[in-house]
Amino acid sequence: MDEYSDSDWNWDFYKELVDDVEDNKNIIQCISCGKCVGDCPAAKISNFNIRKIIKKVLRGEKSVLRDSDIWFCYLCERCKRVCPKNNINIPLLIINLRNESFKQGFGPRYNDLRKYVEMSERFLTSGVVVEDPLGGPLSKERIDELNEICNFARIKYVFKASSSNQTKKKKKKKT
Amino acid sequence: MIKSNLSLDLEEIERTYLDNPLDFFKDKKLCLFKACLESYFPGVRYGIQDLLEELNLKVDECNNQSCCSGTFFQRNLITRAQFASINERNLYELNEQADFVLFSCNGCYNSLMRGRDFLKTHEVAKKTSEIFDRLKGTLTETNPDKYKILEEPRVRFIHDLDFLYLIRNDLLHSLKFDLKGLKVAVHYGCHYLNLSRDKRSFEPYLKDKTKLDDLIDLFGGIPVDYQEKESCCGWGASQVLINPKEALKITFNKLQSAEAVGADFLVTPCPTCLYTLSKPEYRDKMYKWYGKKLDIPTIHLNELIAILRGCEEERCITLRRKTPRLEEIFEIITTE
Repeated sequence: MDEYSDSDWNWDFYKELVDDVEDNKNIIQCISCGKCVGDCPAAKISNFNIRKIIKKVLRGEKSVLRDSDIWFCYLCERCKRVCPKNNINIPLLIINLRNESFKQGFGPRYNDLRKYVEMSERFLTSGVVVEDPLGGPLSKERIDELNEICNFARIKYVFKASSSNQTKKKKKKKT
Repeated sequence: MIKSNLSLDLEEIERTYLDNPLDFFKDKKLCLFKACLESYFPGVRYGIQDLLEELNLKVDECNNQSCCSGTFFQRNLITRAQFASINERNLYELNEQADFVLFSCNGCYNSLMRGRDFLKTHEVAKKTSEIFDRLKGTLTETNPDKYKILEEPRVRFIHDLDFLYLIRNDLLHSLKFDLKGLKVAVHYGCHYLNLSRDKRSFEPYLKDKTKLDDLIDLFGGIPVDYQEKESCCGWGASQVLINPKEALKITFNKLQSAEAVGADFLVTPCPTCLYTLSKPEYRDKMYKWYGKKLDIPTIHLNELIAILRGCEEERCITLRRKTPRLEEIFEIITTE
């Protein structure tokens, strides 16, 4: 059991996260019982420990954004189900922490980013993530909508990095 | 007030249509949500479509529907409002087309529910409306109704597993073969096991899920208990792409655990789990990294039903990502 005093708590980081995603306010109810860790698939194969992550957040330790641990979560929602408190949405907290990590220039080490580039490209050009979808691609109007909805999202930047988009740009330049 | 839980009230149907729940769906329009991964496993879609047609239900594929975008939200590539907008546009199209939407994928089912759930937050609803306002201004589409949040959509959602369990008596009558005492490892998938958004109370959320075990039992198979039954398939919102060695260890443990109790095959109601558990490239990597070759075949529930119904048409049993022994299982089931 950790020993800590009142001076160990720092609410600044917590407040920032709550300002961003209101649901995060409930993590303050965490009683550190560890049930989430006991049932977590990521905890079995990595150092991912949601109990410790919540504690770091409540102590204002922004170093959590640099830890590779937050990228091991499987977003399986098991923790949410086993948590004795009803409203702690751990998967959403993790997604929020990952967003903050991206904003600060950290982020995961992708072993195979190429797949995500391909998937993003297919989504923004055909509305699905696989080649040759059953039933064919979406109409042009719907594709335009998806592109408009995703304006300024990270998916657009990943799409811009895709090879076929680069080729299209080059062709356009030539003509 | 936005209605967030759009799942069909199964308990109500079971109470009202005690003798034959299938009657509830007669003369109603059903559509099948197109999961992207059905492209790899066409039997997932055609398996249920053919069954519904045989049961004289009005069924069609969902038109004009995009990918649920769950994979992009979970990888932080789109925001909650963008995710909600994509799903709200899908919802509009589904609401126009059908009374009920069936989902063959845990991920898609979860995404549609989650998109609605996010709209309960004022800030997300506001940003979603702003996105729709922008769409109205920039696109040539003349129907403004497409670009607003639906407060009370008529359409209701149902997961294929819940549907098949609900109509199990009629389903059983449509089968030509049974499982002949084969041992079956059941894998529900995290986003079926741990989903709260489609529940109306805590009890069904927290209690053990048994519908797939019960169906296997009804089909004449033996659902086997195994150590990693409730564990993740290893996909984990693309963990296989970020941390493949760790993610595939989870997959390995699951498959090994099912093999250890003598399961003849593994069945799942989710094509994403099926993809991870069956992909030959992943099996090879697991053999290379963990030193044991795993051969247990895996199949989606809808594909299994297609086989049990005696469907020999290519579209029902085209299992493009099959593991080798699936042919053997197919032989055992279909030999009279």
